[in-house]
Amino acid sequence: MKPVMTFALMTMRSLVRRRTIWGISIVILLALIGIGQVPGYGTTNQGRFIIDFGLFGLEVGAFLLAVGLASNIYPRDRERRTIMPIIAVPLSRGEYLMGRFLGAAIVQAAAILVGCIGLMIVLIMKNHAVPPDLFPASLLLVVEGWFLLAVVFFFSFWTSPPLNAPLTLFLFIVSQMSVLDFVKLVPGVPGLMRVIRLLLPHMDVFHIKDPITHGMDIPGLYFLLAVLYGLSYMAFMLSVALAVFRKRDLK
Amino acid sequence: MDSLPIEVRNLEKSYRRKLGLSSFKAVDSLSFELHTGEILGFLGPNGAGKTTTIKCILGLLRPSKGYVRLWGDVPGSGKVRRRIGYVPENPDYEDIFTPLELLDMFASMRRLETGRKEHLELLERVNLSGWESVRLRNFSKGMRQRVSLALALQSRPDLLVMDEPTGGLDPVAMKEFRDVILEENRRGASIFLSSHLLSEVEAVCHRAIILSKGRKVAEGTMEDLLRTEDRFVITYRPPGGDASSEPLEKEVPEAVLQETIDELRREGCFIERVNPLYRSLEEVFLSATESAGGGK
Amino acid sequence: MILKLLAISVLLLVLSCRADYDIEEVADEEYLGEGHHSHDLPDSLQHEESLHDHSGDPEHDAGEEHAGEHKERLEDEAVSGHQMHVHQPGERNHGTEWFFNQPWAAKFIWGKMLRDSVVLILLAGLITFFSGRNRK
Repeated sequence: MKPVMTFALMTMRSLVRRRTIWGISIVILLALIGIGQVPGYGTTNQGRFIIDFGLFGLEVGAFLLAVGLASNIYPRDRERRTIMPIIAVPLSRGEYLMGRFLGAAIVQAAAILVGCIGLMIVLIMKNHAVPPDLFPASLLLVVEGWFLLAVVFFFSFWTSPPLNAPLTLFLFIVSQMSVLDFVKLVPGVPGLMRVIRLLLPHMDVFHIKDPITHGMDIPGLYFLLAVLYGLSYMAFMLSVALAVFRKRDLK
Repeated sequence: MDSLPIEVRNLEKSYRRKLGLSSFKAVDSLSFELHTGEILGFLGPNGAGKTTTIKCILGLLRPSKGYVRLWGDVPGSGKVRRRIGYVPENPDYEDIFTPLELLDMFASMRRLETGRKEHLELLERVNLSGWESVRLRNFSKGMRQRVSLALALQSRPDLLVMDEPTGGLDPVAMKEFRDVILEENRRGASIFLSSHLLSEVEAVCHRAIILSKGRKVAEGTMEDLLRTEDRFVITYRPPGGDASSEPLEKEVPEAVLQETIDELRREGCFIERVNPLYRSLEEVFLSATESAGGGK
Repeated sequence: MILKLLAISVLLLVLSCRADYDIEEVADEEYLGEGHHSHDLPDSLQHEESLHDHSGDPEHDAGEEHAGEHKERLEDEAVSGHQMHVHQPGERNHGTEWFFNQPWAAKFIWGKMLRDSVVLILLAGLITFFSGRNRK
């Protein structure tokens, strides 16, 4: 584990020195400031609005961070050949993937959690109560972000960065569609579309802004299971990404 | 007994051309081995398949046919990687780090117990004292190559794989590099040295392989490669000559060797020695690659 | 043995994916027929429902829904608690809200997430093992 953690640290240091992470963070910060400026329609509704929009912003932020941070890591390593001395001697391909993934995942989690704290500050400044489930809800978005990160790594091993972003966006959107809506995309083959949709991930489980804004009780077990589901899907995507990467020639 | 550090058998690596409609062989039916404690030179013109072979040895490329074994194990396995040091052709490391940071991180990734003191000593050995805290982005290619050598030597490897290690170095630095290679070999490391520089290979290698168009066109010890099979040099002193003067030399084909010696003796010459004629490695290289149809 | 495991895990994955996280896909008749307001309900509620007819739009909550005309409904729901709220079959029912306001849903959702997770972890392990073995 030590080699992976060292490489993850190397990745983190490399990522925070790039402009991408700072650009996305500034967009999230501006969005939070913007949400705080929207006039309310009664005290209760303004609070709900801030939570709803804030969590939605973090959702989109998780997607943007995943694409912005990870889509170029492997292609850049190949193009600049920095991958050669790393894979040739100190690290296996699995350790390389895990190190790069962990480094990006830590940076992404930190950015989302900073966004969550920002959202809490906006709520407090506007004299609204901070729902106790807001932080766990943000943690779910962190897990969703990690899953998207794994998807981006998977695509990056066999597509170019300009294709990676639309493919991940497509998966991000269809993973939130119902079966019926998905079947409507290609109505000619409903059976096939249904099977495809059911095999794709269900990102709904990470989005609990509605129950929070409606003041519902969310059992702790739900958070645990949703995190487990997200991490499992992430592990699955990483294993597929590794299988593809292991077959790649590093010319 | 430890098995061979490198064993390559019938190695073939093909690349697909654009659209994948056809392919070309970068390496074709290549077989050789590197023995323990040996320095093996790997020569060839541009595009001969040297780097492709090295990447197969390191597990970066999968052979299309044949196999590569390092101490009997597959390339890229953890056991093998721990025993290797690699000096790439282009020393490409993330340039936001300093040499000392890189050495620290590589030590950690290799699970080595070396510390700051050993790393500073290593940087001193490759002549980078005083540069340990400067980011790589400020380094010349030659300086990066030195960092690369320091990283390769860090684990005291049993096998050093070097791909054009002296490219971009000045003559003084090249001499230092050669000294380090010989020191490592004396320590017991086997060395696989791919190079364009024939003088370098001639100076340090025990054996060499010449590659052209992906195929092996010559192989042998330096003595075997440089020695001609059919020409000899007779060193002799003419009759009545001064003992302090330089002896004379006569180059003859093998077919008339004995006849020439007899004739010289009849003339009263004193035959000092008869040796095979040695060519320069450049001549060997050019003749081998030209007979194979050139490099490209 | 390993091939059998792979076959079993794929089968489990297919089985576990037989249903969507959609209330109309998984709820029994008895739960869909009572105790909720839906599109078939009386005019007064029908009007209220039509104001937030965002079915099929997964990002509906980020839109204009909360911008004003729903004030009344939101206040109402907050007061009235977790009433069942159903759209047309196959369409989203307020995202994950129904996970928490249906007495039967917990068992289904918890079970599905757990089963999917186990199958995915099993598959991840097998893929990693096989891809590593093939490389040798």
